[in-house]
Amino acid sequence: MMRIPVTLALRELRHDWQAALCFIAALAGVLGPLLIVLALKNGVIGTMVGRLIEDPSNREILAIGAGAHDAAFFAALGVRQDVGFVVPATRSINTSANAVRNEASRKLERAVPLIPSAAGDPLISGAPVAPGQVWISDALAQDLSAGAGDTLDMIIGREVDGQRENARRDLQVIGVVPAEIWPRAAVFLSVPDLLAVERFRDDLSATPANWTEPVAEPESYASFRLYARSLDDIGNLAAHLSDLGVQSRPRAENAALLLSFRRNLNILFTAIAALAMFGFWAAMSANLRGMVERQRVIFSLYSMLTMPDRQRCLIPVVQSLALVLVGVMATVILILPFLVAINAVFDSVPGESVARLYAGDILATLVLGAVTAVTAAVWAVVAVRNVDPQEVLTHA
Amino acid sequence: MSSAAPDRSHNVVAIRNLGIERAPGFFVVIEELDLHAGETIVLDAVSGAGKSTALGLIAGALPVAAFPDTRHEIAGVAVTGDTPRADYAGPDRMGFVLQTNTLVPYLSLQENIELPVRVAGQQVDAEWQDHLIRAMGLGDFRARKPGQLSVGQRQRVSVARALLGRPAVLLLDEPVSALDPANVAEVEALIVHLAAEAGSAVVLASHQAQSGEFAHTPRADHRILNHQGQSYSIFSTKGRAAARVA
Repeated sequence: MMRIPVTLALRELRHDWQAALCFIAALAGVLGPLLIVLALKNGVIGTMVGRLIEDPSNREILAIGAGAHDAAFFAALGVRQDVGFVVPATRSINTSANAVRNEASRKLERAVPLIPSAAGDPLISGAPVAPGQVWISDALAQDLSAGAGDTLDMIIGREVDGQRENARRDLQVIGVVPAEIWPRAAVFLSVPDLLAVERFRDDLSATPANWTEPVAEPESYASFRLYARSLDDIGNLAAHLSDLGVQSRPRAENAALLLSFRRNLNILFTAIAALAMFGFWAAMSANLRGMVERQRVIFSLYSMLTMPDRQRCLIPVVQSLALVLVGVMATVILILPFLVAINAVFDSVPGESVARLYAGDILATLVLGAVTAVTAAVWAVVAVRNVDPQEVLTHA
Repeated sequence: MSSAAPDRSHNVVAIRNLGIERAPGFFVVIEELDLHAGETIVLDAVSGAGKSTALGLIAGALPVAAFPDTRHEIAGVAVTGDTPRADYAGPDRMGFVLQTNTLVPYLSLQENIELPVRVAGQQVDAEWQDHLIRAMGLGDFRARKPGQLSVGQRQRVSVARALLGRPAVLLLDEPVSALDPANVAEVEALIVHLAAEAGSAVVLASHQAQSGEFAHTPRADHRILNHQGQSYSIFSTKGRAAARVA
């Protein structure tokens, strides 16, 4: 039985297509700019600010100066909820290899920083380092024309009684850290390999022949690489270190600002969207009410022809839903070229866009539109209920 | 919607003291109206006497005034303010040809004719519909919208719409007023003929029925009563036999 009011509602829209088109245009006028702003919010905040926030470097806490951190210190940090990753470092500034060479390409890079890594390193997205297996930064990979699967030759030098002595070690590259994660040349290697380097330089009993043999862990480490689990955890974690007498500072001082920037922009957008939707709701309400007024005699005729109230009342609801859903789809189609143009003008990092609209956004807009449509039809429904059959008898 | 077939064995219209205050101090009242299936009565009175209002009262489409001993039955169904319209005004019980010939502008001629039957959830009798459309001379215009029809054609669509459900009672409000005089007699004859085929009782409100098909059809009495500062325009068939058209 609900087929008849639905059919009548849609037939009326088709018949009065110019009014329907005006209505859809009005909807697109409100919704179009709103969706463009949403796309910009997604692009700028979601992607660009998001990238800054997601960048693990911003979660790094740097130790100030050298300390003496024992195994218990690292064990305690490792189990904290606010710690994302921690690995011991042998010095407060990075140790360097004297040189790293790629035999295959006959290329050599001097004074390459050695950075301790381990399973769970947020800078590494793949298999963790192990003794003899390293990740290298993109910059080093470029310099040496090397990549995953290649073997590099690490050269560590020392002077003994004025004589220069070099130790070598083959390192298998198992991955390359992208430039946006680590822009400079570096080798990410396991703690045992780093300890071996330090031993060769400090301990004369280590020789170029035996220096890579496993040694006992030192009683303490001078420093660490420490990452909070999230930006919000940085403050807490820094305070904890301070309580332990360890001076530290966050690598990105303004990371917390970014976080609140994103939050505030979200609030701002939600407020703008809510205001715009309310305005649209009011306009829609008035428009639907006006449609009932124009069709009063027909609604009276329906009543005369014994159409039940609930069926008559369904007509403005169906019309409202149809107009809004078509309006949303039309708006999306209309703004797509604008989004493409915006992204073309503000050319950004490949794979990232200034303006970005997700399927979920469109779906949410449709659902929100449907809710708006149904609630905006309430006034019209009340008006339809008040149209009685006698009007068709008396209208001139 | 009432699913039972309308009762045509007794009076299809039985009305006593049914009235409405049309304007302050001015009442339109049907004192008595009894019609059997196939009978016809004409409400013939001067303009402004309330003929259309009387039809509206019969149709149960107007809010009635409180009078003593009011009775209002259509096809055996007592009509009160609480009775669902579908119980007494469905297409098999009542057909109403409005003076205004209001049609749904976005439906075709054929869809307009079918609308009451569709709304009632009943099956369209395709053969009867075809007969009505052809008889009314509308066979070539089935797909046309009301806006593409002449006033006279719209009036004929209204008649076909009212008759499609073979109503127990057919209410006609100036059904030929918009026709050119040459067509009046023909369309009136058609209405009489088709109403008889449908087995409908007919109530015609017209101020131009002195000639033509309804010239000799019995009239309801009409009188104006002024009482205690109130004015009553009263229609009644008391003591009058209606015409048996069939």
